Amino acid sequence: MNNLCTDIGYQSVNKFGEQLCGDRVEMIEQGGDNYVVVLADGLGSGVKANILSTLTSKIISTMMANGMSLENCVETIAATLPICEVRKVAYSTFTIVRTIDNREAEIIQYDNPQLIMLRDGKNYDYPKTAMEIGGKMIYKSKVDLRENDYLVFTSDGAIWAGVGTSMNFGWERDQIIAFLEKMYNPDFTAKTMSALLLDECCRLYGGKPGDDTTVCTVKIRERRSVNLMLGPPRDPKDVNKMMSLFFAKEGKHIVCGGTTSTLAGEFLGKPVETLLDYLDPEIPPIAKIEGVDLVTEGVITLSRVLEQAKSYHDADAIYADWNVKQDGASLISRMLFEEATDINFFVGRAINPAHQNPNLPINFNIKMHLVEELSELLKLMGKRVKVSYF
Amino acid sequence: MKVTVCIGSSCHLKGSRQIVERLQALVAENDLKDKVELSGKFCMGNCQNGVCVTVDDELFSVSPDTVDDFFKTNIFAKV
Repeated sequence: MNNLCTDIGYQSVNKFGEQLCGDRVEMIEQGGDNYVVVLADGLGSGVKANILSTLTSKIISTMMANGMSLENCVETIAATLPICEVRKVAYSTFTIVRTIDNREAEIIQYDNPQLIMLRDGKNYDYPKTAMEIGGKMIYKSKVDLRENDYLVFTSDGAIWAGVGTSMNFGWERDQIIAFLEKMYNPDFTAKTMSALLLDECCRLYGGKPGDDTTVCTVKIRERRSVNLMLGPPRDPKDVNKMMSLFFAKEGKHIVCGGTTSTLAGEFLGKPVETLLDYLDPEIPPIAKIEGVDLVTEGVITLSRVLEQAKSYHDADAIYADWNVKQDGASLISRMLFEEATDINFFVGRAINPAHQNPNLPINFNIKMHLVEELSELLKLMGKRVKVSYF
Repeated sequence: MKVTVCIGSSCHLKGSRQIVERLQALVAENDLKDKVELSGKFCMGNCQNGVCVTVDDELFSVSPDTVDDFFKTNIFAKV
């Protein structure tokens, strides 16, 4: 056990005009802190490519999940994947990254653009061994990992970006490395890193990608907890207990809700200073309490956070939105989706009589439901979530 | 004079923002920025009668429709 974790994030765009993506990313958690990520790129585009890449990534990840060795999986795939009659190449190329205890990575590459590894923000040349399995040249690497190592790998859509339009020979590996080194910021999550590179590809393609393009990033980062409290406890006698437990937790602290923040202020012996800046007309302003990292209104703000969490895995519109905005909901989203690896919810079950008005969209059930739904979505992002009720 | 507007969930839904913005405008129009301090507060424990506004600790219930009258009688007249 160490204080590190593996953060995996990816994003794709389809070839211009296509409904389906011919690239596919599959992730499997092998218990503990071991992960397998497979990025497969099916030949061509559209339905055929989609089916082929799905097949490839599913076979590999399922076999790995069942404890087969990497060599075994690759052999099976290499032997199974047919060579296209016309083009004389295999139907699907792939990159496999397997991380072990956040300390070590095995990288297997078959015909996708070579994986780029950044260490301390600089390109890191890792050793590769070539082997031939079933007539296919496969490159295998084993690297020790450190905190803030980024492994960035793409489908070949990325290196073809801009061919014939903004660049003569597409976007070469060296140029991609230069771009990543320039953009590097150790606070970027895997998802952000992938989105940045993919955005640049799209820009080079002039907004009309000539091929399916996928970027996947595996980042080794420190575990970080964020604690969020919402609502006062059902039994007013439990206020002190709830507050002590909450503030004893390591990591950042977010307090949501009017009554809750008043109670937190009393507990800490500090005033609650409410700001009057409506940075988003629909979200109430935030407040400040010394000793609390963020204080916001409750249900309305968290409803927005939930909306943003739902859009997290889709394409960019709202994603970009919460990434830059300063309203309470966007601030919470950034802390939960980007900063946190472990999230503890402290949920009070007191019923606010004023909220039980049928004309108000904020009653008790909605509050409980919000937390449940949000926890599920956060788990999908790979967070460890714990919810305690009071 | 200190004027505090509740911006908790209930009051927010009943129009805190319109009231805050209107009061900010009225205070500016009447050159009262030196005399009236506008601030916010999460929940004053009187949610049923929102939007809650206090003027030097005296509690009022205001709605976006009554904010102009409220300003005239309780802020402008008393400054």
